Amino acid sequence: MLQNLVIGLAGSGGDGVVSAGESLIATAARQGYRAMLTKSFGSQIRGGEACCRLRVSTGPVLNPGGELTVAVVLNWEDFMRFGPELPIGAETAVIHEAKFGPPPAGAPIGLGLSSVVRAVPVEAIALAAAGTDQAKNSVVLGLMAGWFGFDPDGIREGIRKRFGYKGDDVLRANERAFSAGLVHAQADSLGERWKLAPPVPASTRRVVCDGNDLCAAAALFAGCKFFGGYPITPATEIMQIMQKKIWKHGGSLLQAEDEIAGIGAAIGASFAGRKAMTATSGPGLSLMAEMLGLASAAELPLVCVDVQRGGPSTGMPTKREQSDLFAAAFSSHGDTVRPILAPMDVADTYGVTVEAFNIAETYQTPVIVLSDQEIAQRKEVIDVVDTTGLRLVDRLAPTDAELAAYTRFRFTDSGISAISHPGMKGGGYLAAGIEHDESGAPNSNGTMHARMSEKRLRKLDPLQRRRDLFFIEGDPEAALGLVSWGSVAGIALEAVRAARAEGIAVKLLVPKLIYPVATEIYEEFFAPLQLCLVVEQSQQGQLHRLLRMWTTVPEEFISLTRCGANPIAPQDLLEQIRSLVKTAGVVHPRATVPLRP
Amino acid sequence: MNPPVANPPPCSPKDFRSGLKPIWCPGCGDYGVLAAVCRALAASGRPPHEVAFVSGIGCSSRIPGYTTAYGFNTVHGRALPIAQGIKMADPNLLVLAAGGDGDGFSIGGGHVPHAVRRNMDMTYLLMDNHIYGLTKGQLSPTTARGTKTPSSVFGSIEEPVNPLLYVLAYGAGFVAQGVPADIDGLARIIGEAIRYPGFAFVNIQSPCVTFGEDEDQVKVQRTRMRPLAAEGHDSANRLKAMELAQHYGSVLYTGVFYRNPNPPATYDSEIRRLQAESKSHAA
Repeated sequence: MLQNLVIGLAGSGGDGVVSAGESLIATAARQGYRAMLTKSFGSQIRGGEACCRLRVSTGPVLNPGGELTVAVVLNWEDFMRFGPELPIGAETAVIHEAKFGPPPAGAPIGLGLSSVVRAVPVEAIALAAAGTDQAKNSVVLGLMAGWFGFDPDGIREGIRKRFGYKGDDVLRANERAFSAGLVHAQADSLGERWKLAPPVPASTRRVVCDGNDLCAAAALFAGCKFFGGYPITPATEIMQIMQKKIWKHGGSLLQAEDEIAGIGAAIGASFAGRKAMTATSGPGLSLMAEMLGLASAAELPLVCVDVQRGGPSTGMPTKREQSDLFAAAFSSHGDTVRPILAPMDVADTYGVTVEAFNIAETYQTPVIVLSDQEIAQRKEVIDVVDTTGLRLVDRLAPTDAELAAYTRFRFTDSGISAISHPGMKGGGYLAAGIEHDESGAPNSNGTMHARMSEKRLRKLDPLQRRRDLFFIEGDPEAALGLVSWGSVAGIALEAVRAARAEGIAVKLLVPKLIYPVATEIYEEFFAPLQLCLVVEQSQQGQLHRLLRMWTTVPEEFISLTRCGANPIAPQDLLEQIRSLVKTAGVVHPRATVPLRP
Repeated sequence: MNPPVANPPPCSPKDFRSGLKPIWCPGCGDYGVLAAVCRALAASGRPPHEVAFVSGIGCSSRIPGYTTAYGFNTVHGRALPIAQGIKMADPNLLVLAAGGDGDGFSIGGGHVPHAVRRNMDMTYLLMDNHIYGLTKGQLSPTTARGTKTPSSVFGSIEEPVNPLLYVLAYGAGFVAQGVPADIDGLARIIGEAIRYPGFAFVNIQSPCVTFGEDEDQVKVQRTRMRPLAAEGHDSANRLKAMELAQHYGSVLYTGVFYRNPNPPATYDSEIRRLQAESKSHAA
């Protein structure tokens, strides 16, 4: 039986492979499995290629997995467009639409010999059972239930939910298509070896959600009262969820004319004393650069979520990449630091978003949350978020005594000055992007500029001691260490756990606080290391380079990086760790070692 | 939320002037604008701490700092988005936005139609001097064709924009023009703009004494200005207002071009409605 099942489904935009994946993850969750669903599209709305990858397990799921256990190919041309995103190996079972004949030459079917290959007339079954080829995905669901042990009743319930509102005819047609798929699978069984092992009973309540869901939920929990933004893939869902919910929290939302106006309105709302945010992706972040500088200069709290996608420019709007780190850290001009946080998985998005608001409010600064397309849009079965341990912070308000002679940008030991807002009697001041003195009056004196710059940087110093914003696991004294971040961290974590299970001494650090670089925490982690790998998803290895800028790194400090949309398989990483251990002491430092294809 | 005080102590224009000394050149039209704004704010009955005054970048955008309102001197061209965020976050505030013609109709031009169509209850003061003053005299979007400036040494070869006509075409409910040569009249116009329940636009022909044209200067305005009231203009007539506005740049009309006699619901009132409905729905 299978402890771990990775299904890759691909077809054309209208084939419904993604909604089939969503039905399967919902069913798996109800059965008590852990699961993760990632989706990938061409950037067309309809008619392009679409795929999803579902990983179901009896234990924790840390990443979407490497090689597929099962490939479901509704159309070879579409399937092959995803290339390395849907790797087929020697052990992969391949189920393909019979209509298109045998796999074409060049299809990535590994060695072929040990694979299970089934040609299924999916379209013909759909036509016979439902009278329409639009029920192909319901046939696929039947096949999945029959072969791999997804609960048929759970899937039927999902079909009822999805098609019920379309009327009886559509619902019945899909139910018949599902049953026909199920019957086909049962008649042509793959055997017990392909069935999922029984789930481990859950001790907690679980839900299926993605990073964008949790980002919006966390923002509302944190007390966000204003959202300003502009639609952009893959961040739009955050705005859409906020639009549904923010009003009943007494807040408001502006879909602005562009990203500059979106973040501008959020800065205005923050000036008016409300917790405010924006959410965007790479091109929007580029447009927002000047406004981020304004929020730094005027010392206004603001949360800016950047859901990274492939870049530069339009790049790959629907694909994962971790290439906005430099832009997040350095894009706005001037001598300034903006804190950057990054969640390491879907569930982590909640806590990280809440903390982004806390840091923004505490230090009166813009904070960037660097999510990425995968975390933002992948569905995961997670434990219901426990908010009891989460604290919420509000900005430091002036006391009545301070309001009697208010000085907005007063120099203090911490660098943090009490902040008033319109409506507060006695708190009137001039907020400005122009350099100013303690009262807020414009000032271009060099001494004042130096003091203000020092104040704005010094107030962030305590962040560097936030050990709670670093995930560290493994053997503390290991000579081999990994650093990874964002959605890639789950891959590194699986590889490290597997290596340790084999007796390899290794440890992993995942920063959730990416910037400012917490020099001391890294150097402590680096101390016993002979060799450190920084595992991430960008051509340049941006975190690797950022760490070199701010820390004394181990002698062998290697960037293991891959350009966006090219998955890093946990198994590949594990093999890399094994081979580094074998050759320990003879590894030559190189700036960048590409992962083996 | 800070609801207006029931019986606010009356504020005088002086209560709205901060101690900061303006950077403006002697003779700059902006001094008159500042005086008129302070009079209009005093007349509004709102205390300074309930006023948010937002600007962009340029000589004129320094104006919030010269008042005791909560000022925000933002970045070039972005006063309107920031002002809208303030109004949405706290609809009880009296929100003013101000800036020059370059700020509002060049770099920030894309924001104006959206601010107009959203129709938040706020006032936008365009301090129009037909030139870039702070960067020393270059061509602005309202500079007349043929004008020689350091960035158009052979004379401008492009048509200027007509802020009045643009804003009328965008659908603004209140459009007026004033001049610092007539501070009383300007204060009245700004006061009316503040009282109009919706987005109100006031184009202020505020001359640049250093780089501007001679015929634009304050003392010339006194002879050139033609009050619309004296022309018998009916400010409820939008098409007539557009006809008159076409003479921007040649005839110096002052007063209210257009005031919508039936102001539609403002964006901020819609926000309150959505908040109330969602709350009762949730309950």
